[in-house]
This record gives sequence, structure tokens and C-alpha cells, in this order.
Amino acid sequence: MRWTDLSLKSWNSKDFQLTMDNTSCPYHDPFKKARQENGVMETEVAGEKIALILGYKDVRSAAREYATFSSDAPFRVPIPSEEDARSVRQLPIETNPPEHKEYRAIVEPFFRRPMQKDYIAKIESLVDDLVENAIQQDSIKVITEFALPLQSRALTHLLNVPEKEADTWVSWGVHVFREGNSNDSQKGQALEDYIHQQLDMAKQNPGEDFFSALTRAEYQGRPLTRDEMLGFANLTFAGGRDTVIHSISSTIAYLSEHPEALAALRENPKLVITATEELMRYISPITHIGRVCPVKTDVNGVQVEADSRVALSWASANFDETVFESPEELRLDRKPNPHMAFGNGTHNCLGAIHARLIIRSLLKKLSELQSITLLSAQRSIEKEVDYERELGYKNLTVTLNR
Amino acid sequence: MPKVTFITSDGEKTTIENAIGTLMEVATEHEIEGIDAICGGVCSCATCHVRVADEWKEKVGPQNETEKDILDMEDGADDNSRLSCQIELTDEMDGLVVEVVEL
Repeated sequence: MRWTDLSLKSWNSKDFQLTMDNTSCPYHDPFKKARQENGVMETEVAGEKIALILGYKDVRSAAREYATFSSDAPFRVPIPSEEDARSVRQLPIETNPPEHKEYRAIVEPFFRRPMQKDYIAKIESLVDDLVENAIQQDSIKVITEFALPLQSRALTHLLNVPEKEADTWVSWGVHVFREGNSNDSQKGQALEDYIHQQLDMAKQNPGEDFFSALTRAEYQGRPLTRDEMLGFANLTFAGGRDTVIHSISSTIAYLSEHPEALAALRENPKLVITATEELMRYISPITHIGRVCPVKTDVNGVQVEADSRVALSWASANFDETVFESPEELRLDRKPNPHMAFGNGTHNCLGAIHARLIIRSLLKKLSELQSITLLSAQRSIEKEVDYERELGYKNLTVTLNR
Repeated sequence: MPKVTFITSDGEKTTIENAIGTLMEVATEHEIEGIDAICGGVCSCATCHVRVADEWKEKVGPQNETEKDILDMEDGADDNSRLSCQIELTDEMDGLVVEVVEL
């Protein structure tokens, strides 16, 4: 799975109630009714008709049926599609097995590095520095002053490049494809220009970084083409950006409203593991991901035309009451918790180990605090024709109190 | 406290004495190859898949409901498959041998 850019053109943001765990909020699980009725929501996203697959087991199953629900679809795995935002197929996500397996194996070693002890220490140290700095401030704007720098600086470790490179990435803003007045193609082109530059430098002066690894990699016995390199790097920058930022901001917002959670984490450090998983289930930082039906397909009674798309709705599946008891309650000790916040099946999120490490490190460090004071918050709302869903924050300002 | 042995996909055997906790916790603590356990043991990621030999199945017990749902769709899973995060070690399991299923 990829962590797609979620700043859709149709998004709005407005003030909403802040609590994340009350059942009266209509934005937590906008798919509940449709999921309970027949498990599919026929809707339209950016003018495209899409059938959202909502039930937990249906989503898990569809994630594995790649012949029926195909990822071999350049630009069309994200929702909405990204023809305007980039010039290349993202790899390995926009391929099916068996090609997918070989493509994924090329970059997998980089994405497994977050399991190493020295890597874990680096991310913990990074979080420690950022939190200590934030404590010194009267208040911090979580998105721009904390979450974006943390995401970008952490990514330098994943790609094994100097941490100062994050300064450039921070300047791109929360979303790599869309933001402010820039249109898709302008921001997308800027990212591709940057990646070309890095690949050129890696070719001339190869090292142990991600870009150099791409220039050395082979697929089916031949070197990667420049477009393939671009496709890998594009996904790496786009996939784990707003998703990670939303996860960080939502975690901080939750802890600010639940001092008892901070205390529980402090008293029982092992809770960090289950709390991370539960926060990820609850936040579900990517609502859904697309698949193309090569032929006309019946999805729980909904006819999906050939070459049309369905979406695997992770956010709906993660609130399926047939799997999760009281899904709208955030339980820090929920176990088992078979959520699909990082997708599922062969395309499960490459960055999941890294992302989990960021949230675990954050919870561990924040649990040292006495409290987090929430000063102001403005949620982001994913607003589509047939549903609205809270996801992350547009603005969030807090004070960290030791 | 039981002794447990992991056999990894390359045939290497690692025996742990005085194992305590879940089988997954023991495996990660001893860095057993093939047990990533990236979700930390909440039955979400299926990266702690092991195969329990027939003679140990009764003592180890069957897949629980959540685990079964996960394993039903995993490549390489069979009736001997368990997620090691769901196996809480007991003294009865002294001598347990499991095969690590390659990710």
C-alpha cells in the first residue's frame, strides 16, 4: 500500500468538535450505514464513479484478488487519480504480482532498516530533540513546527541522506502534489525535478543512500530505467508524508484531551505498543486506495464497469463492528487489533515499520509530560459527495507541559 | 519455564531456555530471522507466522478466531500455522519446536 496524498481538491476544513472518542461525532465512521446495509458505497470522487468496498473481510479479500481488483494501473491506485500530478507510474505500488514482488524487493531492504537498534535510537533521539525544543516554547503550531519537521527529518534516516536535506522537503509543505495556489502539475513537476537532480548526483557520486541504491538496482537482469527510479522515489516522497503528519497531529491532539492516557503510558511503558496500533486504527491515515476492475465486476450487487474503479476502504474496515468491539472507542490496550491502517496483503505499506517507530517514539517521549494544553484546533475534513470524514488537523496549537 | 526451539527457513535451529511471555516476544528478543512482528503482537501484521509440529498442536492449542481470519488469507498458511504473538508460553510447552514461515 502507499500513503497517498490526501489533500484532495474537494477538501474543506472547518472547526469541529475536538474530541476523538465520542460516538456523537458524525465524522468518525461515515461508512457505518452503508457498510451495515450491503457493504458497498457507490459514490463519486473528483467526478469519477467509484464503488467503495467497506466491510472488513471484503476489503481483506479484495486486497488479495489482484486479477479482479488490479493495481496494474498507472496513476490510478490513489483516489483521486494522479495523472496531473506526476509523469510516471509509482513503484512498486502500481503493479500486480509477480512483477510487484521483484520491484518491491529492490527497495525493501531500505524500508526494513527501521527494525535495527541503531536506527531506532536515531529516531528516538530525533523525537527527543523536537519535543525538548517544543517544551521550551510557550506554544507550538503542531503541523508546521513539529509534525512536518519530524516527518521530513525522520525520512532522511529512512533514505540514509544527510538530515539537512529535510530543510528542502519541509519547504514543500504538508503535501507534495497539492497545496495553496500551486496546481498539481507545478508541485508534481517540482518534486520530479528534485528527484532527477538527486539521481544525477547519485550516478556521479554513488553512496549508500536510497537514490544511489536505485541507480545500482536491477529489474529482470537489467538496470532500472530512469522512469522506474523516478517511480520508486515519487512514491517514497508522496506516500509517507501527509499520512505521517496526520498521525502525529492526531496523536498529540488525543493526548491533549486525555491526560489519563498520558498517565497510563507513563505508568505502563509497554502500553506504547498497543496504543500505537490503536491510534493508527482510529486515525486510519489513508481512507482508501483504488483498484481497477479489468472486466465488469459485481461487487455485493453493485455493477462495476470494465476499467472502472473500486476502493478498498481501510477506514471503514477499521471500524467494522463485526471485528472490533465498540470500534468508536479508542482503547489504548486493544488487543487483538487486526486493523488495516497500513493496508493489507502484498501491497501492505512499505513504510509501516518506520511510521510505527515514529509514533511509538512520540508516545514514549510525550508520556514524560504532565499534560498537553490544547490552545486551538482546526480539523481537516475529507469532504466528498456522499461522505465527510475527519482526518488530521489543518491547524493545531498546543503547549507541552513538563 | 519452557525451552523452545525455532527452525528458520534456512534450517538453522535456535533454542531458547527459560522462555517467558509470548512465543513472538521470545523470538524478537532473540532476533529470530523471519519473525518481524512489526505490529508488536496485536494480531494485525501476520509477520510472526510459525508452523507448529503435529505432536505439539494439542498443547499449543488452535488458532483463535481473529488469528484464523488473518491466517486464512495468508500465503503459506495451513492447519499447523499459528501467529506466534498469540501463543502464551506455559510450562506444558517445554521442548516446543516451531518452524518459522518465511515472510
